[in-house]
Amino acid sequence: MVKTTIQEQDGNMVAILVGSLDTAAAAETEKAMSPLNDVEGKNIIIDCTDLEYISSAGLRIFLGVLQSTQVKGGHVYIKGINDNVRAVFTITGFSNIFEFM
Amino acid sequence: MGKQEKKEDQQEQSEACIGSAEHKQVESKVKLDAHGEMLLRQYRELRPTLQQLSDEASHLLRQALSEQGIYVTAIEHRVKTEKSLIGKLELKGAKYKDIGDITDLVGLRIITFYTDEVDKVAVIAKRLFDIDWKDSVDKRKLHELDAFGYNSLHYICRLKTGGPRFELQMRTALQHVWSTIEHDTGYKGDVKIPRVYMRQFSRLAGMMELIDDEFSRLRTVLTDYRRQTLALVKNGKLDDVPLSRDTFRSYLELHPFDHLNRRIAAVNQAELFPVSMMSYLPVFESFGLETVGDVQHFIDENSEDAYQLALSQLAITDLDILSSNTALQYLCLVYVLKHDGGRDGLKSLYDIINGENSTNGMLADLMMEQAKTLPFFGKLKTKN
Repeated sequence: MVKTTIQEQDGNMVAILVGSLDTAAAAETEKAMSPLNDVEGKNIIIDCTDLEYISSAGLRIFLGVLQSTQVKGGHVYIKGINDNVRAVFTITGFSNIFEFM
Repeated sequence: MGKQEKKEDQQEQSEACIGSAEHKQVESKVKLDAHGEMLLRQYRELRPTLQQLSDEASHLLRQALSEQGIYVTAIEHRVKTEKSLIGKLELKGAKYKDIGDITDLVGLRIITFYTDEVDKVAVIAKRLFDIDWKDSVDKRKLHELDAFGYNSLHYICRLKTGGPRFELQMRTALQHVWSTIEHDTGYKGDVKIPRVYMRQFSRLAGMMELIDDEFSRLRTVLTDYRRQTLALVKNGKLDDVPLSRDTFRSYLELHPFDHLNRRIAAVNQAELFPVSMMSYLPVFESFGLETVGDVQHFIDENSEDAYQLALSQLAITDLDILSSNTALQYLCLVYVLKHDGGRDGLKSLYDIINGENSTNGMLADLMMEQAKTLPFFGKLKTKN
């Protein structure tokens, strides 16, 4: 179960994820994050400070946001990632295509 | 070139920011004669057509250059302003019977990177437009041995569909710089420039020509070099090919990591998500790999152990999406471990791949723990 909050902060769109982004939570989270695909002219920050776990389905959501943002010339930053989630990004080879802050 | 024409040239230069010049009614203090006034009226009637011509000719050129893969620094176009036209008519209005006799009411300028591209653009222009050879001029060929100046190729053109004529200037970026500075110094003004300064201009112009030619020559040499090295890659003579961005990119076209990627992906029936592998080039440099052949040996020697390491990590997860540089990453990890890099070497590798951050140490520890369970690591320990 993931609680997703999207808000604008300092000219960026920020998605705050709280909980465990497992396969069961993916569909709902993807829907909650879909407004990010329509963002124009702003960078996106995915705040993972309180994200406990990420599954492949979660990675796919992040990759979708990255693709839709990059084609518009924007950046996606991942903030506050914990060690377990970082390990998933690294094991799967995605750690150097996102920008971490 | 007569003094009057030089003056006009200066005025034309002052329109250098060609862009889409807006039509402005100019309250001119100049009193034109009846013929001049007639030409001015004709110009005002023609203005919308000229603007359309300017846009269309520019669009045609832009499209053709793009289709031919020719990248230029700028494509500028403008309609002559009323102020500029009045200046021209004041100087030599009697020379023109009709407004159609003035060939630069619409002007386009293409600024290329290299001298040989000026000729390519000229070929494209000849294909796109009807060229009025009587009034076109290659100023590059006009220089006397003791003359100075550094000019461009000018064509007087007409759309294939007809309409007014327009001027197309083609020059290199350096020619443009020369022309702009030449205008800024105002040497073509009324004051006679002393011979000593004229000579300085002449020397600089010669130098600019030389630099332009040298840039073109260097590009040709580099293109040949690139072609030769890429041919070596294609022919499998990898040990002869120095590792660079170009050669690595060409090598990647052979899909050297696909086999290992597919093996690793099969562990969890994972999807491979395509990402750029170019970011690993600095890693290879840090390993001291100097040729594409070195990269091939690196793959051959480490693939099995890289697979075992990936297997040990992925088999205990349900991760079914992997980036296409997963194989590369595990190859690099194994290479570091086999070359006594240890925990610090792994952390340095992650610093290059991920950028320096506080979790790279944790990742290095995690990887060391996994590696310790693998046969190749045991052999290393025994050897040491």
